[in-house]
Amino acid sequence: MDNLKTILIVDDASLVRLYYRSILEPAGFRIEEALNGVEALEKLQSAAVDLLIVDINMPLMDGLTMLETLRQMALPIAATPALITSTESADKDFAAARAAGANYYLVKPVDRDSLLEVAAMLCGAPQ
Amino acid sequence: MAEAAPLSREEFQQLCDYLYRRTGMVFTETKRYYVERRVHDRMAATSSPTFSSYFGRLRANAQTELEHFINAFTVNETYFYREDDQLACLTKDLLVERTRAKKPGASIRIWSAPCSTGEEPYSIGMWLLENWPRVDDYDIEILGSDIDTQVLAHAQAGIFGKRALMRLSPYLVAKYFSPLQDDQWKILDELRDSVRFSSVNLVEPNDTRRHGQFDVIFCRNVLIYFDDTSRRIAAENLYENLLPGGFICLGHTESMSRISPLFEVRRFSDAIVYQRPAGGEGHG
Repeated sequence: MDNLKTILIVDDASLVRLYYRSILEPAGFRIEEALNGVEALEKLQSAAVDLLIVDINMPLMDGLTMLETLRQMALPIAATPALITSTESADKDFAAARAAGANYYLVKPVDRDSLLEVAAMLCGAPQ
Repeated sequence: MAEAAPLSREEFQQLCDYLYRRTGMVFTETKRYYVERRVHDRMAATSSPTFSSYFGRLRANAQTELEHFINAFTVNETYFYREDDQLACLTKDLLVERTRAKKPGASIRIWSAPCSTGEEPYSIGMWLLENWPRVDDYDIEILGSDIDTQVLAHAQAGIFGKRALMRLSPYLVAKYFSPLQDDQWKILDELRDSVRFSSVNLVEPNDTRRHGQFDVIFCRNVLIYFDDTSRRIAAENLYENLLPGGFICLGHTESMSRISPLFEVRRFSDAIVYQRPAGGEGHG
């Protein structure tokens, strides 16, 4: 068994999932992907992950609704750390994300170094 | 099978006229070898003993046989990162200008026409991932279109041979492809899903208009196959498909100035590009 931390990237844009994956995977994270909140919650039921990276605007179920739903579920899944990545950058967006249960918020465009630093911090990976 | 008979001058002309009426592509006696070879392929495939029996079949089954026929005709030679100075121009200049007035999260629409087996639209996706740090800041939509439905199926499958990858560094091949058997590589799922493919005839306004307006259109090395009239029609269609201020990139040897007065020439450090004027009124 290896000690790789697993990150689930939840974003409907395939180029964005690939962009984050190509930053995180070479740094030693295992990456899973989901296209929206519904698919992410399904994946979490079958296998826990160490960190969620979640976009807000997605079809079927947006990121904030997904987080609210997740935080109502049973432990330990309900406590999965979550990083919101979004183009929205107003104070009310940060507040809404906090209220939904986000642990951290990065405004897009997310640069490589910030993504690596925050991902490592949130899932407790040694840096 | 015996060598098929060459086409008479009249037969050749009849065929070229038909092809022109249906597709806007112009073939003359100088392309006879190229045309004849494909006609003979389709005659063999349809068990047509003579040209006139094949031509009758072509006109009678315009939907299906014309599609096969066009598929056999179009030139589908391309590779990843072909003419990449235009890709450099895309990220250094065109997108910088296009996003100046856009809000984060707004859409950026890019169209590759014709896209053949997909190398160009996938190259655009790869290039953006490698060279444009704002790839997650906008809703990027890439459309790949071609008149040839067979190449579109190939594009959608996302499997490529060595030749298509020849310009890519081993780093890029390893990053964006997984190796299959027999010198074949499969493009990553996310990259494949980032491009939408559709069949479009550039001289048919009903075909082009349904895709809406784009920020940047790559239309390289196709207008050279058209005559003056179809070239102008295609250019006018493409103009309608550009957002005001949107850009169109042609092949290195092509010039829009000789085709249509609608566009403005923009000279950037990496490429010459044509632009629909920002205040440009719709044409017709």
